[in-house]
Amino acid sequence: MRYRFILIIVSLFSALSLFGQNIEIDGYARSYIGVLTNDTHDYSILQNTFDLKFHKGLSKAGFFANPYVYQYPNQNINIDLREAYVDLYFDNMDLRIGKQQIIWGKADGVFITDLVSPKDLSEFLLRDFEEIRTGITSIKADYYFGNNTVECVWIPVFVPTKMPDESSRWSRIPTFLIPTQTDYSMKDIPENTDESEIFFKYSGMTSALDYEVLAGSFYEDDPTIHIEKKVDPVAGTPFLQLTPQHHRLNMIGGSFSTDIKGKVFRGEGAYYTGKVFPAMDSYDIPTLTLDKDYLYYLLGFDFNIGETKMSTQFIQKAILDYESSIVAEEFDNTITFLMSRNCLRETLTAQLFTYIGLNNSDALIRPSLSYDFSDGFEISLGANLFYRNETSVEPDISEMFGYFDTNDMFYTKVKFSF
Amino acid sequence: MKKFKISVVLLMAFASLSFADEMSGEQVISNVYNRPSSNDLQANLTMELKNSQGNTRVREIKQFVKAIPEGEKKIMYFVAPADVKNTSFMNWSYDDASKSDDQWIYLPALKKIKRISSDSKSDSFMGSDFTYDDLGDRALSDDTHSIIREETLDKKDCYVVESVSKQDNYMYSRTLTWVEKGSWIGIKKEFYDEDDELLKVLRVLASETLDGVIIITNTTMENVQNGHSTTMTLKDILVNKGLDDSLFTERMMKRAPR
Repeated sequence: MRYRFILIIVSLFSALSLFGQNIEIDGYARSYIGVLTNDTHDYSILQNTFDLKFHKGLSKAGFFANPYVYQYPNQNINIDLREAYVDLYFDNMDLRIGKQQIIWGKADGVFITDLVSPKDLSEFLLRDFEEIRTGITSIKADYYFGNNTVECVWIPVFVPTKMPDESSRWSRIPTFLIPTQTDYSMKDIPENTDESEIFFKYSGMTSALDYEVLAGSFYEDDPTIHIEKKVDPVAGTPFLQLTPQHHRLNMIGGSFSTDIKGKVFRGEGAYYTGKVFPAMDSYDIPTLTLDKDYLYYLLGFDFNIGETKMSTQFIQKAILDYESSIVAEEFDNTITFLMSRNCLRETLTAQLFTYIGLNNSDALIRPSLSYDFSDGFEISLGANLFYRNETSVEPDISEMFGYFDTNDMFYTKVKFSF
Repeated sequence: MKKFKISVVLLMAFASLSFADEMSGEQVISNVYNRPSSNDLQANLTMELKNSQGNTRVREIKQFVKAIPEGEKKIMYFVAPADVKNTSFMNWSYDDASKSDDQWIYLPALKKIKRISSDSKSDSFMGSDFTYDDLGDRALSDDTHSIIREETLDKKDCYVVESVSKQDNYMYSRTLTWVEKGSWIGIKKEFYDEDDELLKVLRVLASETLDGVIIITNTTMENVQNGHSTTMTLKDILVNKGLDDSLFTERMMKRAPR
């Protein structure tokens, strides 16, 4: 860890010396405390963060580096680079090389065509926007003509979504009547050009419509768990071997947003081929897998009521040519709802963001209140409340939000930006 | 010279070649709106927000504006405070009153550009005492204008024009504008709330001439009901430099100007 820290600092100072003295530096320090509302009153999180951003922009080139530190009590500090890249600017083209966050699509809080940067889901969907997506080492080229852009991204090495540790309260572990063993041997993707990922996007921004048309060939960030029945050769007892494996997907999709009489309508959709779905065998154990095409789309509507900003989205996942043995449901429907209002000269912001899973009647409700004591100094209070349909006996991993019903929490964040 | 509407210097009209002795309120406001102006402008804008206790907050913005045949394009880069730094906002507005503005915001934390709803004209602009409506142009036909008196203000002969919105539930019951005769600069404006109580007073404090165009460089808006005030100051102003259309695009929203 110490070596890594030194490496980051040396790299940054090398960059600084290359570009001279006029480096812009900003960032923030943040303290974040969360407490579970259940009887244990355990801390859901105790985290101190220091985030630095170094910028330098010239007429033909620039660079950006964003090292950050997470510190947890009684644990080693976590130091990493969220992004570190160099920009080259040409007349009608930009080239960005290095670790970067690349965000696509028009959706809020869901990832339909936003598949380029892997995610950090170690705290489910609760991290701040900036932190939930991780940088990916890649080369991105943007060619501009008028209000249109063609973007190509090449990712030489696949990086998966960061999932919670098995001991984390955010892990989703399937339960079986017989013991399981996990085999991670298939989880890694070879690091060679054949296994690299590539994405294309054509986008336009006009008065009538903003749109994106995109395609990609990539590995699915979230692994499929393959399950195989086996017998322990020594004890002679049966067990299930769980083998997480990332599969290659092809995707085409698009998104749009338009203003109609002061209201914004948005849409986003993607069609995937080659997605692998676990399926039940004749013993009702999901040892089978089926390849199916898959449609994932969203329709959204943003509007204002007085000074309150409102937004709602309907999201559907549909497995095409569905077979009843597939563990997942043929259609998975979710709606989101956002309400936000600023007052006291935009120093106080009240917000409510809610996911509602229509299949399982579960929900995640996220109210928050943030106040700017002075410019750059903000304190936030909030809650993450999971609702589960209590007609079912035990939480099931298919319940997107209800599975974490015991993880309700209140939190506070104090943040100083500079 | 194309019409150019600089939002932050609304009511800062000037320079008419002639005017008739008998003016109507609509003619006066038409002269204000149609004054000669620059094709483009770039400037650094500082907003100083004061509350009734005298506490001050500062907002800094770098802005670029360009007239287009249909209206105006504007892009603003937020420089301070730190928590909004590198956020950018782009607005395309249209002379056709039936067409809504197109607005986008780039939030660096989200790393994406979002089209935003433009029906929030009564919202405060960055927590200031200016609403988006105060900063933008209104179509001449949006209001009924009448001259209610003539008087001298700051040693300048002025028409005092009352404007009443034709729109139901507009946030102001009426406004009074002191328009200097001949120059057609609105040097003071009073805004009355829905109960016809005086709500806010806008005053022009300073101006300068650049490339033959008078630019208002300092204005203040005082909310007389809550004691808040906002002072807007334009610095480093450049006009008619031939800003390229490519400045008002997705590319430039994500990449602050060098």
